[in-house]
Amino acid sequence: MTVEEHLAQAKKIVEPFAVEMASPDPWRLDVVILPANLIPVLQALKDAHWGYLSAITGLDYPPADGQEGQLEALYHLVMNGVVLTIRVKVPYAHPELESVCQVYPAASLYERELMEMFGFVLKGTPSTERLLLADDWPQGVYPLRKSFQSGKAQEEQA
Amino acid sequence: MTSERKFIVPIGPQHPALKEPGHFEFTVDGEIVTDASVRLGYVHRGIEKGAEERSWIQDLYLFERVCGICSHVHATAFALGVERLAGVEAPPRAQAIRSLVAEMERIHSHMLWLGVAAHEGGFDTLFMYSWRDREIVMDLLEALTGNRVNYSANVLGGVKCDITDTLRDQILRGMDQLEERIQHYLNVVTTDRTFLARTEGVGRMTREQADLFGAVGPTARASGVPRDVRVDAPYAFYPTVPVQLITDERGDLLARFVVRIKELFEAVRLIREILAHLPEGELTVRMPRRIPAGEVISRVEAPRGELFYFIKSNGGEKPERVKVRTPSLCNWGSVMQVAVGHKLADMPMILAGIDPCFSCNDRMIQLKRKDSRQWMTWEDLRQYGIEYYKKVL
Repeated sequence: MTVEEHLAQAKKIVEPFAVEMASPDPWRLDVVILPANLIPVLQALKDAHWGYLSAITGLDYPPADGQEGQLEALYHLVMNGVVLTIRVKVPYAHPELESVCQVYPAASLYERELMEMFGFVLKGTPSTERLLLADDWPQGVYPLRKSFQSGKAQEEQA
Repeated sequence: MTSERKFIVPIGPQHPALKEPGHFEFTVDGEIVTDASVRLGYVHRGIEKGAEERSWIQDLYLFERVCGICSHVHATAFALGVERLAGVEAPPRAQAIRSLVAEMERIHSHMLWLGVAAHEGGFDTLFMYSWRDREIVMDLLEALTGNRVNYSANVLGGVKCDITDTLRDQILRGMDQLEERIQHYLNVVTTDRTFLARTEGVGRMTREQADLFGAVGPTARASGVPRDVRVDAPYAFYPTVPVQLITDERGDLLARFVVRIKELFEAVRLIREILAHLPEGELTVRMPRRIPAGEVISRVEAPRGELFYFIKSNGGEKPERVKVRTPSLCNWGSVMQVAVGHKLADMPMILAGIDPCFSCNDRMIQLKRKDSRQWMTWEDLRQYGIEYYKKVL
């Protein structure tokens, strides 16, 4: 199958759930969905044997101009040369998403990273134990949020 | 009679099987593993956070240090991504050299793995021979880039090392030597009875499992999954020199050995092809200091499988976010599921079978002597080493 055919197939599956769709590169499809649709859309892709979950990227949008802070999770699915990105945004106050391990069991490692680095709450995830951060790392401090400053950044400011 | 009580065998973080720290817990029922879990992060350095605080150029060097074995693919993935964001394309000669170094790196990485895996299987002779022969490609990498690890061949917008005629002949000679040795290793791992007893039918991962757990690289290809970024989405010089996909249907440890050794042949073939089709021209193009706002995904095939970079720019001198997903992480997820049902004694081999990333020692080739301002050449240093040990002994 060609890149175009893979893209067309992906488009057909995700269209019913999409709030917004974009194609930033000829071999990419970016789809914004509502958090409630996360499992249905991934399940639909898996049922159609469309690709595998390659990575989950977390993004932080700190509060600005009276807007409350938000977290975004990007689920990157790869099928040969095509990358489909499912994007979901949640507010700081309720950073809750359904765990995708019921669809992709190996996602557990990615989810543990997402929880400790950004402070997502992933309902139903099989393990909430620390994967990367030290055991004595303080609770509620999420290093990949923009509000967290590393030692280097603090030094530069001082 | 089955017992309700669980017996957990903790391994790590420091242990003899793996040269890098990791903590594993195997729940066993007698000899058989019934559950497995992993705890990583003992060498977590906060590189993704660090990248947000450094300039694009500094980050190239930072990402090259994610891994000591496959440093070049990290720098390549980052450079290709940033170049795409900036709307710049590196010249053809630079792309060819990127692919050339990448294949030489694959040879060194696969041979390093072959040695480590053989050692885990109790076959130390194979370990020593494969590491001796690996020096051929290490010397070539050093001759080309000046470094044994963290070659630093890439710059944003191209490469900084060039191939001379002498060097080309040197590389071709090295490839001839290596090819002969690789054939020998393929014979050994497929015919030696004691070795086959440790690998045949052990740690089998079916194609369905590999697909479901998202395994990548040789681990996936050894289960018959046709997955290789160089084939699926060719980058750098691979559109000009297409890669032959290597798979094996068996899915066991033996298949992982066979796939990686066959990939060594393929890398040798690619290196010859690249050198035969090396384009003339510039090595770099100009890069802007500020990178236009946007998001890119950059995927390359590291020795261990698909390496995934997500790069976001806000239009400034530093990236807004860089996400790195290394192939080992995918393969950890799969191997932990596959471990269940196997004997505890097979765990070191099964873990080593996915080629988890090990650190390797780096060395200096040039150093400043206290009493003089002269730099030592590689030959000087080699001679110095020989003399030094003569004195000690």
